[in-house]
Amino acid sequence: MKKLLIPFIFLLALSAFSFQAKAQCNDQLVNTCALNVGDNATYIKDFKARLKASKRGALPIASYAIVLNKGTHYRFTVCNAIEFEGEAVLQLYDENNNMVGSTFDLARGKDFKAFDLMARKTATYKVFISFKGGAEGCAVGILSIVR
Amino acid sequence: MIKKTFKLPIYVVLFVATILFAFVVSCNNDSEESKIDDELKAVTEEDESVLDSENNMGDIMENLSSPVEMAALIKDNNVPFSLKYLSNPDNIDNYSTKFEQALGLGILGADLGYLNIYNRTTYVMRYISAISKLSEALSINQFFDFETLKRLATNNENLDSLIYISTSSFNRMDKYLRERNRADQSILIITGVWIEAMYQATQVVKEKHNEKIAERIGEQKLILSELINTLKRYQSKKAFKELLDDLAEINKIYDKIEIDYQVGEPETVEIDGRLIIMQNETSIVNMSAEQLNQIISIIESIRNKRIQLNN
Repeated sequence: MKKLLIPFIFLLALSAFSFQAKAQCNDQLVNTCALNVGDNATYIKDFKARLKASKRGALPIASYAIVLNKGTHYRFTVCNAIEFEGEAVLQLYDENNNMVGSTFDLARGKDFKAFDLMARKTATYKVFISFKGGAEGCAVGILSIVR
Repeated sequence: MIKKTFKLPIYVVLFVATILFAFVVSCNNDSEESKIDDELKAVTEEDESVLDSENNMGDIMENLSSPVEMAALIKDNNVPFSLKYLSNPDNIDNYSTKFEQALGLGILGADLGYLNIYNRTTYVMRYISAISKLSEALSINQFFDFETLKRLATNNENLDSLIYISTSSFNRMDKYLRERNRADQSILIITGVWIEAMYQATQVVKEKHNEKIAERIGEQKLILSELINTLKRYQSKKAFKELLDDLAEINKIYDKIEIDYQVGEPETVEIDGRLIIMQNETSIVNMSAEQLNQIISIIESIRNKRIQLNN
């Protein structure tokens, strides 16, 4: 019994510690994500999204307007904060509301940490960040150029 | 006499130690948070005196003008580095009003982006010092970690981090200004970045024609239109009106430049576990050599006026 008690007390104490420790949903998340976008990628912009769980079926979405330039190889990366279960999906839409890219590839049914876009049209676009199933979450999207 | 020693069970000692450790960490975090809150509060209160109460910029583009994107294009087209594309950081004494300081900060930001992209850390220090002074004058120096920037530049170490910290500092400052009803200063910084980046690109093309850079100059029709629309919110102020008049001169040329679009569906491929999207919708800029030369000339004039070379 005593053998079981020690790990239990440890877990209890550590869970108290985890609760008190700083969450990662802050600038540290941006730094970590931005510095891990891959070789030859240069950071341009970050998009922070902290969304509460959906209510009455409406999917909470954070949106950002951006300009992308023709002839540029862009990379969109998304990173989740560790303390939330919500899994972020970053989507890119053009000005005509056509989806250009997403970190969740519907055709493959697969999540990607990032997607690259070989832009051939200078225009305004919209970046959307949401969490699967409308879960509460915190994430950051990073826009970088690959050179 | 037998002395009885009271011995605590090991798991109790460990439990208490862990709780104490958690408590200390928590207190430190709270203390740091409180310190940051106090600093922010102090900055906010200080800013009240210089606040220019205007509506925020709404859904203006997040990356209307990037301090590194044009410089990256220039470098990637094998254009040799040149200091003559940059403003002189010693000119900051010319910027006496908040308007001039914000515009000047943008100009220097684009120059810093150019130096970072070309890895010219020797010159970076002078620009960082000038940016530090201007951001202090605008009460937004809390977003620049100048000590880290200086260390990275001086030791020529981790250039990716230098670019990241420089660019993200500008982004955080921009966000702060927008949220604090200082969007007028934010748009001036963005305009400063745009003017200087355009100056760099147009000077490169003026010296030696480059099709890709020329095309990017033509595509700025879209950006200029957004800048003008946002600046118009402040046109009741004389300095803004004068800046708008200058930009309207360039816009007259852009009005005659046509941009055609060809539709196409994007194609997605997976290469080495990475998702890559090829955009098949394209934009084509129809700009004559004469129109390009006019843009080069007007940008040169506006930019030199703004850094007050003619005074």
